[in-house]
Amino acid sequence: MYILTAEGRKYLKEGLPEKKLVETLEKGPMKISELKNKVENFDVAIQWARKKNLIVVAQGDVELLRHWQESEEEKALQSIEEGITPDENILKVLLHRKLIEEKRETLTKKAEKLKGKEITNLTSELIITKAWKDVFLKEYNVEAVGKVIYPGKRQPYNRFLTDVRRKLVELGFIEMTGPIIEMEFWNFDALYQPQNHPSRSWTQTYTLKYPKHGFLSYRKTVEQVKQTHENGWKTGSSGWGYKWDEKKASQLMPRAHGTACSARQLAKGVDIPGKYFAMVRCFRPDVIDATHGVEFNQVEGIVIDENLTFSNLLGILKMFAKEIAGAEEVKFIPDYYPFTEPSVQLSAKHPEMGWIELAGAGIFREELTKPLGVSAPVIAWGIGIDRLAMFKLGIKDIRYLFTEKLDWLRKTKVI
Amino acid sequence: MPTIEVSYKDLCNLLGKKLSIDEMREALMLAKSELDDVQDKGNDKILKIDNKDTNRPDLWSAEGIAREIRRKNGLVKYKVAKSKIKIIVDEKVSKVRPLIACAAVRNIKIDENVLSQIIQLQEKVAETFGNKRKEVAIGVYDLDKVISPIKYTSVKGNEIEFVPLEFTEKMNPKQIIENHPKGKEYAHLVKDDYPLLIDSNNDVLSMPPIINSDYSGKITTNTKNLFVECTGYDFRFLLPAINVLVTALAERGGIIEGVEIIYPDKKMITPNLTEKTASMKIESLKKIIDLDNKEILSLLKKSGYEAKIKGNKINVKYPSYRQDIMHERDIIEDIIISYGYNKIEPIPPKIATIGRQNELEIFSQNISEILVGLGLQEIMSYILTNKKNVFNKMNIEETRIVEIENIVSANWSVFRNWLLPGMLDFLSCNKHIDYPQRIFEIGDCIEIDENLETKSNDIRKLAIAITDNIVNYEQMSSILDAFFRLLGITYKLKRTEHTSFIKGRCARIFVDDEDVGVIGEIHPAVLNNWELEKPVVALEINLNLIFNKL
Repeated sequence: MYILTAEGRKYLKEGLPEKKLVETLEKGPMKISELKNKVENFDVAIQWARKKNLIVVAQGDVELLRHWQESEEEKALQSIEEGITPDENILKVLLHRKLIEEKRETLTKKAEKLKGKEITNLTSELIITKAWKDVFLKEYNVEAVGKVIYPGKRQPYNRFLTDVRRKLVELGFIEMTGPIIEMEFWNFDALYQPQNHPSRSWTQTYTLKYPKHGFLSYRKTVEQVKQTHENGWKTGSSGWGYKWDEKKASQLMPRAHGTACSARQLAKGVDIPGKYFAMVRCFRPDVIDATHGVEFNQVEGIVIDENLTFSNLLGILKMFAKEIAGAEEVKFIPDYYPFTEPSVQLSAKHPEMGWIELAGAGIFREELTKPLGVSAPVIAWGIGIDRLAMFKLGIKDIRYLFTEKLDWLRKTKVI
Repeated sequence: MPTIEVSYKDLCNLLGKKLSIDEMREALMLAKSELDDVQDKGNDKILKIDNKDTNRPDLWSAEGIAREIRRKNGLVKYKVAKSKIKIIVDEKVSKVRPLIACAAVRNIKIDENVLSQIIQLQEKVAETFGNKRKEVAIGVYDLDKVISPIKYTSVKGNEIEFVPLEFTEKMNPKQIIENHPKGKEYAHLVKDDYPLLIDSNNDVLSMPPIINSDYSGKITTNTKNLFVECTGYDFRFLLPAINVLVTALAERGGIIEGVEIIYPDKKMITPNLTEKTASMKIESLKKIIDLDNKEILSLLKKSGYEAKIKGNKINVKYPSYRQDIMHERDIIEDIIISYGYNKIEPIPPKIATIGRQNELEIFSQNISEILVGLGLQEIMSYILTNKKNVFNKMNIEETRIVEIENIVSANWSVFRNWLLPGMLDFLSCNKHIDYPQRIFEIGDCIEIDENLETKSNDIRKLAIAITDNIVNYEQMSSILDAFFRLLGITYKLKRTEHTSFIKGRCARIFVDDEDVGVIGEIHPAVLNNWELEKPVVALEINLNLIFNKL
């Protein structure tokens, strides 16, 4: 026994698509492109109209060959709808055109063959016909451990960085960015690190073979930085007392610290009060070992407000210790950075790692902030994020942060 | 960040009291130093001290650290006695290494500890502060073997011979450069003309900035009187350096004597240990830490300053070895250190701000969510790589790329401009790990762009790779389709040829007629280059372009 499909029922009611095509052509030949818009299911319609020799297509025009006469299909659809099975040839056509399908009673017959047998797969037929009542469903070894599969997964270190980023946003910090290939100006000069001075080699940095120099825009800033290096400008400083070289400042280098982003942000303009952070990839020429990678991520930031004090600086650090490392106990140690004065190192008692050097911070020197156009005090901080990541991921070798070990990536816990 | 070694006993002697190791650790913080390591040596201990301030060479010796930790009772003053020693600077050296600053130090008792500290301080100052002897080279001599006046001149490579330190044979400057270990190490600092210090007896003191003579340039525990000199190009470096050296020796009881230097056009006497002066607005300090005037004065005294309040300012005098003070902030920091960082209550600033992530980061996180949903494992690799990986192994022509000059390793010499080489590199490390391997990376690549201020552009890219016994193009095109469908972006694929991919199995990806990436099956020749043994299908997309379309 057969019944009409949804499509079959639609055509029984509205006529076959090829019928509509023929009717449209009664007014005369038409371009394919034009017909396409006028006839529903055009592809089906033209296929069957050609098969039945109702039309001819010549040079993009469709012409009518014969008028429409009631078709075998339409008659058969009507019969099936009335419960009469038409002859086999037309049945095949209708099944092929998916206008009819086998009725449930036939399924039952198939299911009957399975009666009393032991079945592995519970099929749709067994469920619909309720034949499952008459078969035995085989028991499995349900205590066997499942086969290993590897789900899609974030890279654990990257996931950790995303968490820290989110945390900083929760604490009210706006994310800053900057170019990876940076001018020495933003990496050093704008941070009041003099050219050709030991203070510049505070960090070892890479130099580039290509490209060599960038263009220094921010002319006013550049001039003020130059003056500050040479004679202190209006910062109340004696300056470094040497001839500042713009060519050297425009030299390109891979960013060596996230502070370059802070310098750019200050020059671009900041909200007062304002809180900003950058989480960026940095590059220093280290020999790679368990504690030094080729590259590393730095999390750095600034807090700007008219009346910031040293006590506020310590307050921010204590907040980081608690929020980022879960440390309640902290110690502040005098430290040195070429661009902050006073400078401080935050040592925090991590619940499991013990005392760790968690962050470096300070108040930016006025020789830095004033030439960049900021007169309010700016607190600057940086967190040693890689060490925390290593602890969180339970690894001792920093190279694992950028690991190429797929099995490790697959098996690390999602924390 | 110089690391120095000092004897524990010696440091306690200089401090005038015995501190336990833990007390020492605490005390060292006052000198911005960290106790890195403690090693037993006989009945003494060797302390390895990490000095964090690159701008305080006065702290790079046991003498300097002790002086700082003692937290002086006001300003330490040093006297400079007169001496009859003269140096005549020859016109010839003015184009080679023009400047010199010197001093004599008499009546110093040199024991093993003093000797090792002199040598160490000299090395650290010349290496770190003196930029590897370029800006400052230092010589220390046995004054009793030097006959004044001393001549500072320059000679040609074969003009003179002397026995260099720790050698027994006479050598000329050229031979020293070629054969002596120090000569080879610092050869790049001299050329054709060699600076020379020679006394009235025609005995060579040294050939700066390379090596001392073995005769007068060698000090031992028998030496009683010293002659010290620094040579270079800029008094900004030379004067602080000589001051740091002689005041450290004065801490050992040495008597400092000035030396007259006669330049072709001027005369001067070094060292000048006159205290320096500065002034600080009281308000500037109070903005940072609220202290009353009496307390400020007492803390200044504790920090080694002599201070007087004048109106709304405080005028200070400080020792000549401090060359780091250029702004009132530098004085403020000293006051806070003397006050004690940990006595200050940490109070976070009460300011309300709204945090915000960078939009491209949020976008990248959303993309990784889609890709994890598609069953892909995220990887993260280095941005640094090498040309072989980026070009040769991928079978593509070399193009302009950001290149490092002072490479540490050839493996890390350029910045990647696409991600697929890193993906294949990753797969090549995991040949024996369960298949299928389905990975993705979202990362920054750098492309040259001459029009930008930094001549380069950071481009966030996405790459996906799948490898298994059998893979096909359709697997990746389905992922691509799902990716764009979930972003609500329509795209088109256009057949292309790309030498990294199999011909006829590679297409460019277009969104709004803009080329945003490439998709295809990796060419077997490329697989061979990476020693991969199974087929790989991959894609790479420029996420900046996609991000701009949303």
